[in-house]
Amino acid sequence: MLLGIDVGGTHTDAVIIDRGGVVATAKVETDHTNLIASLDAVLKKILRSKSGRLPISKINLSTTLTTNAIVEKQLEEVGVLAVSGPGLAPDYFNHDLGEHFHLIEGSIDHRGSLRLALNEVAAREAAADCQRNRLKVFAVVSKFSPRNPDIEQALAELVSAQSDFTTIGHRISGRLNFPRRLATAYYNAAVWRRYNLFADAIAQSIKKHKLDAPINILKADGGTIDFENSRKNPIQTILSGPAASVMGIIALSSITKDAIILDIGGTTTDIAIFADGAPLLEKEGVSFGGRATSVRAIGTHSIGIGGDSTITISPEGKLMVGPQRQGPPLALNGPQPTLIDACNVKGLCDLGDPDRSFAGLKKLAEKNSLTVVELADKVLDLALTTIRAEAGKLLETINQRPVYTVEEVVHGKKINPQRLYVMGGPAAILAPLLGRIFDLETEIPNNFAVANAIGAALTKTTMEIELFADTGKKTMFIPNLDIKRKVSSSYSLSDAQQDGVNELVKYLRENGHPEVTDQDVSVVEAEAFNMVDDYAVGSKTIRVSCQIRPGIEEEIK
Amino acid sequence: MQTSRHLGVIFFPAYDWAISPTHPEREERLLYTQDQLREEGLFDLPNITEYKPEIATDADLERTHFCFPGPGEVSTESHLVAAGGAIKAARLVMEKQVDRAFALVRPPGHHAMKVVHGNRGFCNINNEAVLIEFIREHYGHKKIAVVDTDCHHGDGTQDIYWHDPDVLFISLHQDGRTLYPGSGFSDELGGPTARGKTINIPLPPNTSDEGFLYVIDNLVQPILDDFKPDLIINSAGQDNHYGDPITNMNFSAQGYAKLNEKLNPDIAVLEGGYSIQGALPYVNLGIILAMAGLDYSRVREPDYNPDELRQSRQITDYIEKLCDLTLKNYFKPPPLKVKPNQYDSRSKSVYYDTDGINDQQLEQIMVCTKCSGVRHLTSKTHSNSTCMGIEIPIDACQRCRDEGYRLLDEARRNFKGNTVKFINRREQEYLTINETELTPMGRYYF
Repeated sequence: MLLGIDVGGTHTDAVIIDRGGVVATAKVETDHTNLIASLDAVLKKILRSKSGRLPISKINLSTTLTTNAIVEKQLEEVGVLAVSGPGLAPDYFNHDLGEHFHLIEGSIDHRGSLRLALNEVAAREAAADCQRNRLKVFAVVSKFSPRNPDIEQALAELVSAQSDFTTIGHRISGRLNFPRRLATAYYNAAVWRRYNLFADAIAQSIKKHKLDAPINILKADGGTIDFENSRKNPIQTILSGPAASVMGIIALSSITKDAIILDIGGTTTDIAIFADGAPLLEKEGVSFGGRATSVRAIGTHSIGIGGDSTITISPEGKLMVGPQRQGPPLALNGPQPTLIDACNVKGLCDLGDPDRSFAGLKKLAEKNSLTVVELADKVLDLALTTIRAEAGKLLETINQRPVYTVEEVVHGKKINPQRLYVMGGPAAILAPLLGRIFDLETEIPNNFAVANAIGAALTKTTMEIELFADTGKKTMFIPNLDIKRKVSSSYSLSDAQQDGVNELVKYLRENGHPEVTDQDVSVVEAEAFNMVDDYAVGSKTIRVSCQIRPGIEEEIK
Repeated sequence: MQTSRHLGVIFFPAYDWAISPTHPEREERLLYTQDQLREEGLFDLPNITEYKPEIATDADLERTHFCFPGPGEVSTESHLVAAGGAIKAARLVMEKQVDRAFALVRPPGHHAMKVVHGNRGFCNINNEAVLIEFIREHYGHKKIAVVDTDCHHGDGTQDIYWHDPDVLFISLHQDGRTLYPGSGFSDELGGPTARGKTINIPLPPNTSDEGFLYVIDNLVQPILDDFKPDLIINSAGQDNHYGDPITNMNFSAQGYAKLNEKLNPDIAVLEGGYSIQGALPYVNLGIILAMAGLDYSRVREPDYNPDELRQSRQITDYIEKLCDLTLKNYFKPPPLKVKPNQYDSRSKSVYYDTDGINDQQLEQIMVCTKCSGVRHLTSKTHSNSTCMGIEIPIDACQRCRDEGYRLLDEARRNFKGNTVKFINRREQEYLTINETELTPMGRYYF
């Protein structure tokens, strides 16, 4: 039996799932100031239920702790030691990284060659300055560290005696993007202590409830990370709530094709796009807390239209639905007419007191020389066409993503949604209308009220690694795992793919996921280029990227 | 710091296309550039956006070139995507989605001439010319300046706009006596109806930043101030770099960025540049930052040593004299001995180095006093035998327009060759007449 918990912004949800499906659910209000109390409360409630007494084999937990810490800027001061070398001026990447940013001389180029040695005197001065400021956590990041980690390693050693925790850039992400790596390493160090205190409390709480099962923490990409590793990578746990909801949809519906998912809440509608049944991730990572990061995340696009969106008409006669929400609908004694009130007027639903909806809309309609039904029609039409247009724009952006081969430009896959999934409070009311305007088959998943916790319970581990080999230098390097190895000059692309898959599987098996096999890994990028020196084919540069895609426990469904 | 502008970058490295495995124009030419741009996080900057290229159509090619026997035979999908990248740049700028655009695409194009039988100088399709004709087709007749800063003379672009007074072509390059294609001398100044609108600045080997920037300040800028183009296009070749393996110049990434800042082109299109590890990552980064109006002061090659690259006094003196002479040539070009309202002819021999094709051309241009003149040419090669091209220019007067159709009619009846291409830019009519459609008599005698 699997236990899924989502400590969300408003509610904390828990579900227990057995082979037959959901066997228990529980919901409590989240105590924003004491998340552990919310966790305790929901555990108490669900374990008291009949099915709660059965043995739990896995606990998956999604929490807003890291997200909140960054949004509310409850961040520990971090000693940031950065080595950028030539390129962009520091103003473009040194902002929003706290008060202790040190740029140190040194340079590594795109092939991973050291071009200017680290200025150790300056590095020691920076470390001493951090010491004077009593800093205990560090982020060390150099440009091109996914090609050569030496400068980062040297910096990490330099501060090791004075540091409680150091985030090293290339361990955070093997992808090339220095400013993102820098911001992500900084956030990771800045939330580390708070997250670990929380993790200690989680462990105690789980123990208190006499649960003895491996714990996994939800990530923004719709996968999980094992509990112990999350302590070193707390940044991976941001924005896991929305990801859990998306995974819940996968669990509740069998999505196999290209699809659009609409999650309609009170204030907003979140749009996600699926390709061949898998959610699309942000291209390079999610932007958060004022900085672009390298944290992999399911791409969602939020628009300011929800069930409780206020209807307004400007003095010039311009109708608006949202983005404001001033409270519940008139029908539920709210202050202003909303989208749901318009649905009440049209007889699409019968919520609360429809007479209040009618009266409120009538007042607004008459002021603008419309009949109440005309106004309700206009409101619905505006809301739905806006959602349709925004989804269209998102799709267009995805289909217009740059690609780099003739083959892909001319014959590349385009995402062409076949189905629309609608979830959230007003889903049942709006789904048929949306289906018509999108001209797609439409489905409303069951059980969507606890889709987030179901998603949390069923989601599996994910991870991505990059491999970079240079047969001229005879090196192979997997930055995320810090594996650096000598290879022969005949090392090939297929050797590299094999190594990538093997090392990823080996790492996960040793880190809480003995169930992972080669079959779970997909190679998402594999390129080898000849490096021609003096017009003769010489060595090769090889780049491989492997990942375990987000997925759910199939056998449970 | 400069004011920042919204820059669109169309990055298309064509990782699956090469002329041959060890050719300088091969798959990984832009790989290290992409590594550098990614690692800098350039596309995360709010005013720099990456775009996907469009795919150019046969129509885009046929309004620009005489492709013999047809566009399908002289281009591949990669050429259509590279030209489509240039078209995307044009569309973004003309529709004001961005302030500036850089088509960082390959294969390159500036050696592709009006007539295309195959590949010469690594080029089949002239990306800049396709871009210019696309703009004129969709956004109206514009005055355009092309400043070609590739190390090799942009002989293709020069050939296409030789007779066009509304396209100013300026090429800075290594002296043709020392480098392919062996042309681009000071006295190449354009045809009778566009005299002075082709400007060549053949620079001596070992010219460094100082020399290039002197030419921009003291020659290119005054000419542009006079010409007042609606748009400036930079053919941004990067092989003037001191590290380039097939040229002999001493230009640097800082120099390229400064040149770009001074020139301030609306659109840049990549051309050559084959120091793919040591130069391109830094030069491209510098150009992008300069075009976006961002600080490029920290962009430099790891082995950059300005003292070693300083040009000699002799070179400086030479360039100063060359600029004086060339400026005079622009403002007061030596007149040609031509008769108004009669045909003037030029014959030339074009060699396609990559494809080994020899082309003998005879071109006739009407020395019109009202427009840039109707023109027609014959092109004789081993592979395509004799072909003919007739073009009515975009600014054609009624007489030249009617003369174009008379030539077409005559070719239909009497041309003894295998393909006739007809371009009417004024009324946007484009025709291909194949051997079978020519009169039986014509075929019989051929």
